[in-house]
Amino acid sequence: MSEPTLREDTAVGPPEHLHPFFLLTGLGGSLRGVAGGYVAIGYLAVSGRWGTAFFGMLALIAFMTIGVFLYWRRFEFRVGANEIRIDSGILNRTHRSIPFDRIQDVDITQGPLARVLGLARVKFETGASAGQEEGVLQAIRLERAEQLRTLVRARRTHAVSLEPNAETVEPPPVYEMTFPRLLLAGTFNFSLAIFAGLFGLASSPLGEAMGFDPFSRTFWVSILSVSGPARELVMAHRFATAAAGLALLILLGVVTGIIRTALTDFGFRLDRTGVGLRRRRGLFTRTDVTLPVSRAQAAVIATGPVMDRLRWREFRVQSLAKDESSKGSHVLAPLARDAEVDRIVGELGWQPLPSRIAWTRVSLEFVIVLAIALAPLILVAIGNLVFNPLFGGPFLAVLLGALGLRWLAWRRTGYSLDGDRILVRTGWWRRRITILPARKIQSVDLRENFITRAFGIAWLQFGVAGGGMTGHSIPAIPSGEARKLRDLLLDMGA
Amino acid sequence: MASDIEMIAEAVLPSSGFPVDPDLLPVEPAYKNVLRARMSVVWLVLWAAGAVADQAMLQETAAAGLPTFVIPALAAVAILTAPERIYRRLLYKLTDRLLQVVRGWLFHVDTVVPLVRVQHIDVTRGPLEKAFGLATLVVHTAGTHNSIVMLPGLAPQRAAEIRDIIREHVRTDFA
Repeated sequence: MSEPTLREDTAVGPPEHLHPFFLLTGLGGSLRGVAGGYVAIGYLAVSGRWGTAFFGMLALIAFMTIGVFLYWRRFEFRVGANEIRIDSGILNRTHRSIPFDRIQDVDITQGPLARVLGLARVKFETGASAGQEEGVLQAIRLERAEQLRTLVRARRTHAVSLEPNAETVEPPPVYEMTFPRLLLAGTFNFSLAIFAGLFGLASSPLGEAMGFDPFSRTFWVSILSVSGPARELVMAHRFATAAAGLALLILLGVVTGIIRTALTDFGFRLDRTGVGLRRRRGLFTRTDVTLPVSRAQAAVIATGPVMDRLRWREFRVQSLAKDESSKGSHVLAPLARDAEVDRIVGELGWQPLPSRIAWTRVSLEFVIVLAIALAPLILVAIGNLVFNPLFGGPFLAVLLGALGLRWLAWRRTGYSLDGDRILVRTGWWRRRITILPARKIQSVDLRENFITRAFGIAWLQFGVAGGGMTGHSIPAIPSGEARKLRDLLLDMGA
Repeated sequence: MASDIEMIAEAVLPSSGFPVDPDLLPVEPAYKNVLRARMSVVWLVLWAAGAVADQAMLQETAAAGLPTFVIPALAAVAILTAPERIYRRLLYKLTDRLLQVVRGWLFHVDTVVPLVRVQHIDVTRGPLEKAFGLATLVVHTAGTHNSIVMLPGLAPQRAAEIRDIIREHVRTDFA
């Protein structure tokens, strides 16, 4: 009500504000956003100027409270017949209008606080370049959020009725994660990230100041010297202690993995909706994302050596919209059997994978090229082996290990034309099968360099919309074949 | 013109062993001057930094005076040889379906963009390009990897012409 939108139009609907509780949730968000302010206050406090620090703190909080209040006061959105208008900004006003035609879907996210308060963050997915906050309503009532979603969906499918789908009984999910499976997925997510975190802390100035350095011998000796019995125990059962330590390490890794997985994937459920696949997941922060089927650009079936042996796979889809995690692709099934993957692939409207895939292997030069690239380092390592075996030995082992892994990966790397799409299989440790429909290929790079040219091989790299920055590539195929494959795929996609 | 292209094609990839597409076109020769000017600026900065480092740190050592004299020598070699080679190896082709940009030898990249996949097109002209009467065509696709394909060294009229041809093909069909 502060000011009219650009043109006074009944078609744009009455102005609506964010929920007043935004003053609470929004403040939390902006408190997190000003790390620099805390550093300044911390510095003042440490240097003994408590008064200044106190006033600085007060000023910061007051400033942010006013900021959040003004943002809330000046933010309004209108739901019109053909578009959603968002007017925002305190000094620089932005009047944004998002036509319904452009909105692919509505993502609803609920943080822990928002769940208690019955609020939701609504994001209009427009397929604009990732990272841009194009249409976000920070906090509105969950019912209103669901209404908006129904409205957008109805507009998109050009349906007339707007009846909420709450009354209808939900059909069985396409894919669901039971609790035992969540635990299993967590185990596969085995992670020593916690140790990386500790080591990171150790190498930081803060860790040094705290005398916390697990790399130094004195650190452990000092800990042990504090507790006499512990020292005697350690000295008496060195081997047993080492084994116990290892077991503890593994246990911690497993627990970390399970916790991390449970946080994101708790209650994972994938449903078929009108235009796409709807995914709900999360323990504290619950997200509700719909991936329109036609926006799926490529799919990846990922697994690892152990997971593969037990016949488990993860299924991800690369889409124009960016997922809430930084991965860029949407996980549609964290842990699934082949049959379940086939079911989801079917729901995407794609052909299931053939049961026997005739892979065309890539050339052995895939390994040789790496060997040549590493050759200088290997020579250095061998040289060191003679004069400084303590350094040269492990160094050489790492280099040869990298080559060995490349060789294992080469044995699995291949591609296969399957109807109007190409399948690419890569990796030994990170096993991937990429399904890439020819019509989704945006550009093709054929890469050679002075080493690969000598062997007459080239790398094919496909530009696909959305997803990570690396794109999809097929390594080490003979140049002539690469050219033929490129022309074939571009012909298919046209 | 045809013999010109053949000659260039032969010069470009003599040892690579793959058939060179005779339809690939070179860009404007003035592009060499843009490259020379651009490299001169970079080398000038390097030389200045080297000279300062020389004065500040190397005066007492055996390497005194080395950067001040070696850098201009390297610069001269680079500026005299590299632009010619980069120019020779930058080729493009526009058909009714595809835009192909081929560049580099040490790291050779051959990019093909189907015209229907183009999202939008820019024609940009930096100060150096303006000075030499050139323009760069920038083609954006929806891809995240390699979503920006650049074709430098075109005459402005030619860039506008290509832009208009591509514009007719643009259609977004991924939504």
